[in-house]
Amino acid sequence: MSNSFVWWGIILYIIASVFIAYLSRSGKEASMSGYFLGNRKMNGFVSALSYSATTYSAFMMVGLAGLTYRGGVGALGFEVIYFAGVTLVAFFGPRFWLVGNKYGYVTPVEMLGDRYSDKMVSVVIAISSCIFLIPYSAVQLAGVGYLVEGMTNGGISFTTGVVIATVLAIAFSFIAGIRSVMWTDSLQALMMILASTAVVLIVIQGLGGFSSFFGTLEQNYPEKLTVPGNGFWSFATFLSMTVPWLFFSLSNPQVSQRLFMPSSMKSLRGMLLGFLGFGLIYTIVSVLWGFSAVIIFPDLENPDVATPYLLSSELVPTVLGVLVMVAIIAAAISTIDSIMLTLASLFARDVYGNLRKGADERRQLTVGKIIMPIIAVMAFAFAELQLDLIAVLSVASSAGLTVTVPAIIGAFFWKKGTAPGVIASVTVAGILVMVLELTGIKPYQLGSGVWGLLVSTVIFVVVSIFTKAPEEKASEFIDYINEELKQELKLKKVK
Amino acid sequence: MTNREKFWGVICLLVILSAYVIPYTGLSNVEKWYGSFLLWFVVGIVVILINLIITRDWRS
Repeated sequence: MSNSFVWWGIILYIIASVFIAYLSRSGKEASMSGYFLGNRKMNGFVSALSYSATTYSAFMMVGLAGLTYRGGVGALGFEVIYFAGVTLVAFFGPRFWLVGNKYGYVTPVEMLGDRYSDKMVSVVIAISSCIFLIPYSAVQLAGVGYLVEGMTNGGISFTTGVVIATVLAIAFSFIAGIRSVMWTDSLQALMMILASTAVVLIVIQGLGGFSSFFGTLEQNYPEKLTVPGNGFWSFATFLSMTVPWLFFSLSNPQVSQRLFMPSSMKSLRGMLLGFLGFGLIYTIVSVLWGFSAVIIFPDLENPDVATPYLLSSELVPTVLGVLVMVAIIAAAISTIDSIMLTLASLFARDVYGNLRKGADERRQLTVGKIIMPIIAVMAFAFAELQLDLIAVLSVASSAGLTVTVPAIIGAFFWKKGTAPGVIASVTVAGILVMVLELTGIKPYQLGSGVWGLLVSTVIFVVVSIFTKAPEEKASEFIDYINEELKQELKLKKVK
Repeated sequence: MTNREKFWGVICLLVILSAYVIPYTGLSNVEKWYGSFLLWFVVGIVVILINLIITRDWRS
């Protein structure tokens, strides 16, 4: 595809998004919850679209297609396990939402610090989130890099793509905070779902319809339809990649923070169900893209270029190809934006706010805004390294965040959990994950996420047993939730 | 945790377990679209249905 098509696509996208981001501004947001949570007034539909755009990013449309190309149908299983893990929102969502409203939490990390009655809990988890989310942001940037490079056959370089994504991500999050991110997200998610589904239908039609499409796969690439298939998806690999993914909706602060935003439980439900609906479509579409690429371009060296090659192939009309490319770039940027906003709020409120006395909301917000471009630049540097497959890097990032899961579950269900337990489990298991990732060691062939979760659970429980729990706070916190949930049930019966 | 939550929690666990076990056992030789591909797709649909039921009474 010629460079000019791609450039025009990007320019039109910038104009449209700046316009929407500008419209979504509603005066100057001076409070932390206004800037980072949209004043807890987001409705279900916007929340669902935005949650989708945040989660389903370049990772999905480029990375999952690449993973399917590399190992076959196991990629679908991998994503479906994540999908099933989102059901955790049905259990934890109301609990986050209830305490978020009662105590006014802006970040999930702030909630943990308060629940365990120790500011150091917030500081430690905030720092570990910052460390582990940078590779994940980098993956989004790399996705854009591969996309523009692949679609123009090298006409626009990987680095140019990455620079464009970095600059736009910084610009959008500055315009109006989370409100602009959520509105631009919504537009992007809608556009993406329509255009990407159209691409699948057109490509499969071009390859002779569904029966011929699967017939070709069954005949020429039968190993792509089973696991372990060509060997990529050994059970140990499947387990190692899915465990961090299963807990994604809890462990990733940029998505769990979203549980504070809906205006009501009804909106929360809308967010969850809308997300699942979109999610299943995205998942199937991405996997079918990967399969299509297997049939059309069986000899790609880098599986992550499967999507760009497919979009610039003769089967896809140019305008549609560019439209989907823009949608993917937009999704990547929205994901980085959400991560940047979350990390900025974590750093400003949970690190700076806790360590520096007298840091009021206004100062925290200023610090948050300063930290955002710094995070973006670090992600940029990481993206330029082009270390591994997009999907593999995303999982590595999530593996590091999984170590916070025992502390999160404990906050809601275990009154005996203690701050030293959280700090020890997150620190030791976090360091373990990092060492395993950097050295590439896989004890018993299991990846860092599995070990991280196991070790952090054991440490959290053991240390908690031997230290003193914040009983009063734990009872107040958990009893409040149980009481509210019981009230809900009673109301239902009266009805 | 309410009893209702416990019940659905167990159902979810069973569904997730099936998504791990069946493709690596019964379906590992079924090289057809109606093998693992269909199974995982169906698991996705079941997950949506479960969520619909669990959240049925969430109101404003």
